[in-house]
Amino acid sequence: MTAPALQITGLNKRFGGLPATKDVSLTVMPGERRLIIGPNGAGKTTLFNLVTGDLHADGGSIKLFGEELMGMRTPERVHRGLARTYQILTLFPREQLVHNVVLALLGLERLRWNPWAVLTGHRHLYERAREALAQVGLGDSAERVVAETSYGERRRLELAMALAQKPKVLLLDEPLAGLSQGERQTVRDLLGKIPRDVTIVMIEHDMDTALGFAERITLLHYGEVIVEGTRAEVVADPRTREVYLGD
Amino acid sequence: MTRWSAIWLVIAAALLLAVPPIIGNDFYVNMASQVLIYALFALSINMMLGYGGMVSLGHAGYLGLAGYTCILLTINGFDQLSAAILSLAFSTAMAGLFGMLSLRAPGLGFIMITLAVGQIVWGIAYRANTLTGGDNGLRLPARPMPFGIDLNSAPRFYYFALAVLAVALFFIWRFSRSPFGASLKGARDQPRRMTMLGYDVWLIRWLTFVIAGFWGSVASLLFVYYNLFLSPHALGLQQSAEILLMAILGGASSLAGPIVGAAIITLVKNVISTYVERWNTLLGAIFVIVIIFMPYGLVPGCQQLWRRVTARRKRTDKKTASEPAA
Repeated sequence: MTAPALQITGLNKRFGGLPATKDVSLTVMPGERRLIIGPNGAGKTTLFNLVTGDLHADGGSIKLFGEELMGMRTPERVHRGLARTYQILTLFPREQLVHNVVLALLGLERLRWNPWAVLTGHRHLYERAREALAQVGLGDSAERVVAETSYGERRRLELAMALAQKPKVLLLDEPLAGLSQGERQTVRDLLGKIPRDVTIVMIEHDMDTALGFAERITLLHYGEVIVEGTRAEVVADPRTREVYLGD
Repeated sequence: MTRWSAIWLVIAAALLLAVPPIIGNDFYVNMASQVLIYALFALSINMMLGYGGMVSLGHAGYLGLAGYTCILLTINGFDQLSAAILSLAFSTAMAGLFGMLSLRAPGLGFIMITLAVGQIVWGIAYRANTLTGGDNGLRLPARPMPFGIDLNSAPRFYYFALAVLAVALFFIWRFSRSPFGASLKGARDQPRRMTMLGYDVWLIRWLTFVIAGFWGSVASLLFVYYNLFLSPHALGLQQSAEILLMAILGGASSLAGPIVGAAIITLVKNVISTYVERWNTLLGAIFVIVIIFMPYGLVPGCQQLWRRVTARRKRTDKKTASEPAA
């Protein structure tokens, strides 16, 4: 049996006296599309931050393809195939789009330590960056500066940066946040095209997209896993209606 | 490199090479040498400031570390080359230690720790009488003779300093366009994102701190060779602050900025002060005016002005061209 792509067991995190993550366990199999839902403050983004190492967990275990991530620093986790996008855009606003993606690619290359080479001379990086931009429909905008692009384009750039790294496990934190209907459809199609060798865990409030996309759903509430199961199971569960979907 | 910056580079190089014959007077040639030395100080601090967003108030500490080590070794019988290499190695290693201390804290904490570390070096230089001569300072017996060239005349020392600066400038220029330079700028703008992209932000900053420390130490050696003397006054907070101001005045985001800033401040200090008693006030006024009109410093400010002028000229050209002949 293959190891799960992501296996979280008994994960705990407290902010002062406030438990943000309470004994969370979940297992995501390779190639799976997992949706994490829950009301505001349920600890969804905190969970992502614990997985990436932005926050240090108080206890528990996080395994990526069987390898323990706890105690490992964020860059090391990234080099083992973890990538994420941010709910609040975290880009390099004064740089060209292509440079943003080049930085994403460079992050995994030893070349990043070289203080002598000329970065723009490494054509293959720029070619790969352009490919990644073309993948999200920004091929013609590679030379534009981020500050001059629209919000929707920036959302897609976030995605391009994560995809360019060819991650094994991709954490998407509300990839549709703040987008118009038309842009939502574009991003939805993009997400659908991501190959199955990338395992995806997604936080999203847009239930139409999210339910169409995900195979399994985990519902968090006050830092705890309340319901977990297939789409149909979770939607049918009375607790889901109570804490999340409403009537 | 664009055509214009290549042209500027050639003009600047020709001018710098022509300084001694044009000026003739030893006093002013020596002053030009000082400008070069401070330019290297400002360039080295700017690797941290401009590309890394790290403000250091302890850069003159390297003057103490490299300077005293070099003088003490020379006095104790080492030849000049070994003394230079050993003092650079020692000073750079200390930069590694200082970097570890300073990078414990971000932002304001970083500034304060660099300040404290710089002051510790100053304090030791001031108090360790038996070693450093305390307030009286230490004298370097003679300037080195690289490849047997005597550096005692003002023009020769100027060319020596110019050669060292040119080498440093080349390395720093490559640094600024390198993958590592891009990593450093990324870490300045979005440290959290860079971490998530697989970069070790702490290590990037620390390495930059050490590289800047190395070039700061090179500038320190030039300083000691030039003055043939070092006392605690040269490595106080005032010196660190002036080096920092040079980089900010000229423009921290550009390569030429620190050099321009070093030239202006050194000239005001040395030339204007012979005519105006309150030269410090004048320096302050210059600084305030530049920051008001060109918040990013002189060089980026002038570049922006130049772009605006050329853009306007292009527009008027187009207008007159499109107007039908009467």
